Amino acid sequence: MDYFTNSLSGAFALIISFDPTIYQIVFTSVAISVTASFIAAALAIPSGVAMALNQFKGKAFLQHILNTLMAMPTVVIGLLLYGLFSRLGPLGQFGILYSPIAVIIAEAVLIFPIMMNLAITAVNSADSRLVPTLVSLGARPFPLAIQVIRATRYAMLAAVITGFGRAIGEVGAAMMLGGNIAGSTRTMTTAIALETSKGEFELGLALGLILLLIAFILNISLSLLNRPAHD
Amino acid sequence: MTNAYHLHNIKVSLKQKEILSIDDLAIKANQCTALFGGNGAGKSTLLRLLAFTHQASQGEILLFNEAVTWPLKPKYRKRIAFVEQQPFLLEGTVYDNIKLALSLQQVRTSQHKMLIEQALEQTHTGHLSKQNTQTLSGGELKRVAIARAIAYQPDILLLDEPFSHLDHDHIDLLEQQLQSFCQQTGKTVVLSTHDHLQGMALSQQIITLRSGKVSPPLFDNIFNGRLEGQNFFTDKLCIHTTSKLPQAQHIAIDPRQIIISNEPLQSSMQNSFSGHIIFITEQSTTVRLIIDCGERFHVTISLESINTLKLQLGNQVYLSFKASAVSVF
Repeated sequence: MDYFTNSLSGAFALIISFDPTIYQIVFTSVAISVTASFIAAALAIPSGVAMALNQFKGKAFLQHILNTLMAMPTVVIGLLLYGLFSRLGPLGQFGILYSPIAVIIAEAVLIFPIMMNLAITAVNSADSRLVPTLVSLGARPFPLAIQVIRATRYAMLAAVITGFGRAIGEVGAAMMLGGNIAGSTRTMTTAIALETSKGEFELGLALGLILLLIAFILNISLSLLNRPAHD
Repeated sequence: MTNAYHLHNIKVSLKQKEILSIDDLAIKANQCTALFGGNGAGKSTLLRLLAFTHQASQGEILLFNEAVTWPLKPKYRKRIAFVEQQPFLLEGTVYDNIKLALSLQQVRTSQHKMLIEQALEQTHTGHLSKQNTQTLSGGELKRVAIARAIAYQPDILLLDEPFSHLDHDHIDLLEQQLQSFCQQTGKTVVLSTHDHLQGMALSQQIITLRSGKVSPPLFDNIFNGRLEGQNFFTDKLCIHTTSKLPQAQHIAIDPRQIIISNEPLQSSMQNSFSGHIIFITEQSTTVRLIIDCGERFHVTISLESINTLKLQLGNQVYLSFKASAVSVF
């Protein structure tokens, strides 16, 4: 038990002393996840709104594909992208394997279906009179989508936060595509995996605590957003 | 007279259940048309089709004698305004809501202020202009929704149960406004109501829906004659009304509003006549009587009442009804 309590106090000491190694890792992790979330949101929210507002052949099938992608193990995404980015792969010439770009792409791919699905749910669970009202007021397709996003903005933000939470806690694809390079692609999760295997329990625990804190903050903001009344 | 709408072979189904089926129906332009029908008769569904916010499962709708395609083109969209039974306002102020409607209809920005103020004034909602829509009462919400609908100066105004949630003063105001709206050239109003009297007073055309089908209007107790002051004279009777429509030539009395008694009633009801029962028939849970008081009145009463009053053919009875139960048109 001493081992655990000693490590825990050591971890707190590392966090409080603003250990540069730790904060470098935290910064990399947050920067990669935020970028990935922005890219994914920029694609997923318009796609989700477009899919929710339109009726087309194969919509139900597309919904099944999205649900399947949401459940896809991250190592499978890592594996597929590794094949694309590795020197012999179709995108090998760009040399992005083991770079932050590769991790950003992987995380964006991972969270895209989650965000898109949540965006679809956001539109579908909006007031059933919203879309007919806007249509009867003369909204053309693009202004209609803008107004729908505006009316569901809290749910859309919740979708982005959920995606960010998934990205920052992700380890499989980050490890396979980033390579855990210190100062470049070493994220909190990959660092924890490495430090633990090295026996550096304190550093791993410190990162784990920060990760938990981030998860806690995200959950608080989600529950604030999901309160029944926003006013 | 041109038609605002002409519907052919329209069918609307929801989950394999047919909720509206109309073979052929024309709604005339430049007048007010009332849709009658009970709950679930298809009034709202028909209005949504006319507003082109929902699509029929099959059939064709002509708008001003032109075949239109789905989704409706903006130039047609701008001519139609629709106020739902429970209107939906977006977040923000009343002013923002009306402005959004004008922007979505691509009305020039320079005209916005003038049109918004005009719409607010017409619906007596100017004092609500800066108020957040989430703090409006049911009646205020309805009036603001009407302001939003008329702001872009449509040719067709579709209203689903426009008088619900409104107090008497605002009902009177809205009635006047709808009548003056119809009198402008090229303007058409279609409204749904379950209140026959109100609908008949306002409308030149009446469409009765029953289980999703257009059914022939069944009006009982229609009498012809002339109105002098508030008294309506048929050939044989003088009936008190609450209306002052000088050109009125008809009245109708809802058979359910007439009260039957064996003795003359001491009450506030202004109309009281005596007559003989000449017809009794049972209809599921109600009984229908025809009473000859000089004019023949159709009366609907409950099964219990006929037993309590021991009514039989040939009995002399008294019938009473309020002046306000008489619709004049």
